[in-house]
Amino acid sequence: MLTSLEPLINGLLLGGLYAVIGIGLSLVFGIMRQVNLAHGELMILASYLSLVFLQLFAIHPMMTFLFVIPVIFILGYLIQTFLFNRVLEKGMESYLMISFGLSIILQNLMLLIFTPDARTLQTSLAIKSLNVLDLFNVPVILLVDFLTGIIVLGLLHFIMKKTYLGWAIRAATDDLTAARLVGINPRKVYALAMGIAVITAAISGVLVGMTFTFYPHSGTQYLIIAFGVVIIGGLGSLPGTFLGGLILGVSQLLGGRIIGPGLQLLSGYIILLIVLTIKPQGILGRR
Amino acid sequence: MSSNRIRILLVVLFLIALGTLPFWASRYMVVIFLLMCLHTALASMWNLLAGYSGLISLGQQMFIGIGGYSLAVLSMYHGIPIFLSVLLGGVISLFLAVIISVPVFRMKGVYFAIGTWIIAEALGICFSNWGYVRYGMGLFIQPAYKLPISTIYYAALVICVGSVFITYLLLRSNLGLALMAIRDDDVASEAIGVNIFRCKFTCFLLSAFITGVTAGVLYLNTIFIQPFEAFGIGWTVKLLFIVIIGGLGTVVGPIVGSAVFVMLQQYLSEYVGFNLILLGIITILVIFFTPKGIVGTFQEKLGFEILPIRRQ
Repeated sequence: MLTSLEPLINGLLLGGLYAVIGIGLSLVFGIMRQVNLAHGELMILASYLSLVFLQLFAIHPMMTFLFVIPVIFILGYLIQTFLFNRVLEKGMESYLMISFGLSIILQNLMLLIFTPDARTLQTSLAIKSLNVLDLFNVPVILLVDFLTGIIVLGLLHFIMKKTYLGWAIRAATDDLTAARLVGINPRKVYALAMGIAVITAAISGVLVGMTFTFYPHSGTQYLIIAFGVVIIGGLGSLPGTFLGGLILGVSQLLGGRIIGPGLQLLSGYIILLIVLTIKPQGILGRR
Repeated sequence: MSSNRIRILLVVLFLIALGTLPFWASRYMVVIFLLMCLHTALASMWNLLAGYSGLISLGQQMFIGIGGYSLAVLSMYHGIPIFLSVLLGGVISLFLAVIISVPVFRMKGVYFAIGTWIIAEALGICFSNWGYVRYGMGLFIQPAYKLPISTIYYAALVICVGSVFITYLLLRSNLGLALMAIRDDDVASEAIGVNIFRCKFTCFLLSAFITGVTAGVLYLNTIFIQPFEAFGIGWTVKLLFIVIIGGLGTVVGPIVGSAVFVMLQQYLSEYVGFNLILLGIITILVIFFTPKGIVGTFQEKLGFEILPIRRQ
């Protein structure tokens, strides 16, 4: 048994989940140069929505995507149209504060509706583990997280490269004035992009709900993870986000093994601060 | 000069009322004004960073935590007199600010915001895993039990008035002029010889010191300190709310903002759960409809500033 390999393997698998957590934040930053501080709350909101549908229809958590994704997409679209689009020209402060206000509202609404109790999206996957070649054990749920993560990143890559919407988003990112000239309505593109970003957040939220327990205030913790992922990899870069997720996941689990589980989060933060100091634009960042 | 005389009269009357408060007001009133004073000092310091230096910090809570824990540890474990511990808390915050300025001043804009936040979170985790400060269970600051409320109130008042006037004087000095030049056009100001780094660095250190001292007085009143509360992002949420409501980049804004905030907090404490939702909604509405805050909007309409920072 090579149990010493376990933190490394699990860290890599967890990294796939972290990449999905971060990708929405990275997408929004890449396009609008703004940071959505309500990202974590939107994630956890999706976890709770999934819980509601789960109890309503008695289905598998993965099936709740069918209901959660449309609901959360509409929410993201409306948030961008009615809140964020109104302050785009007013600079970073206004956007940060609006999203901050939104995160406080969402967090406390969830607290009010769902109580502060710990919740989880129960599946039989959570307790199974896979023995690989008699060498080490891999929890099945982390494998599911990782594979879903790969699929989400792949789909996003496809959307950005092959669809009209993707072209419009990338055009608005590269040169806003030119994009306007060829008939792209930036506000609509932003709203759709926010919708997509929020969908990725929702998917990660459901995965997190299946893997760990969550509370109404868990959003903050995952927002920081999302920041970690996109800053290590580079804001606005898709391959960078994946790499950032893997680095953060591995550093957390290895750090947890070496210096103790209480300090697991700390090792991730330290890696993050080192990257922020040495190369603030991230490992694969542009500029 | 009549508007100048009105200005001085208003400020003096206000100070006399505050200075004699414990003699004529009820204990409840004193506590309310104590909270307003402390929030004013904290918010002024955040305003100095965000409103004048362009440094949006989401990590002011690190100095609150350090100030509070310094007070607890120094006064309880080492028997240092309580108000000396409060001051030392400020000094330790200052040291922390000097150390972290190496990495955080390499970060700009949103990176600075995130970087400061993550340092505060990391410190919170360190303190909750540190046996010396009883892990996450927190500490009761026993030496503060015996302090009468009026003593704490006067300490808070001194800090509040001090921080507002230091901000005011600072902004009217050459440094303030330089800060405004940087805010309006950083490239041009650097070209005429403004040292951008030194200006921002000075503000950062000052804000760390005063935030640390204020936190000490705050925990004299709270008596109990716990890492996740002390190093929590909730502090910055409050400060942001206060400064936005009052008026970002105005000297009087934080005073008005913290008065509104403390009143709202008292009034809304009956509606548990709804109060923070309402704070969030008010923040968003203020940014949409009166982006300059209460004070900024009044100054624009009336053309009258109580503490003007422009030279006449």
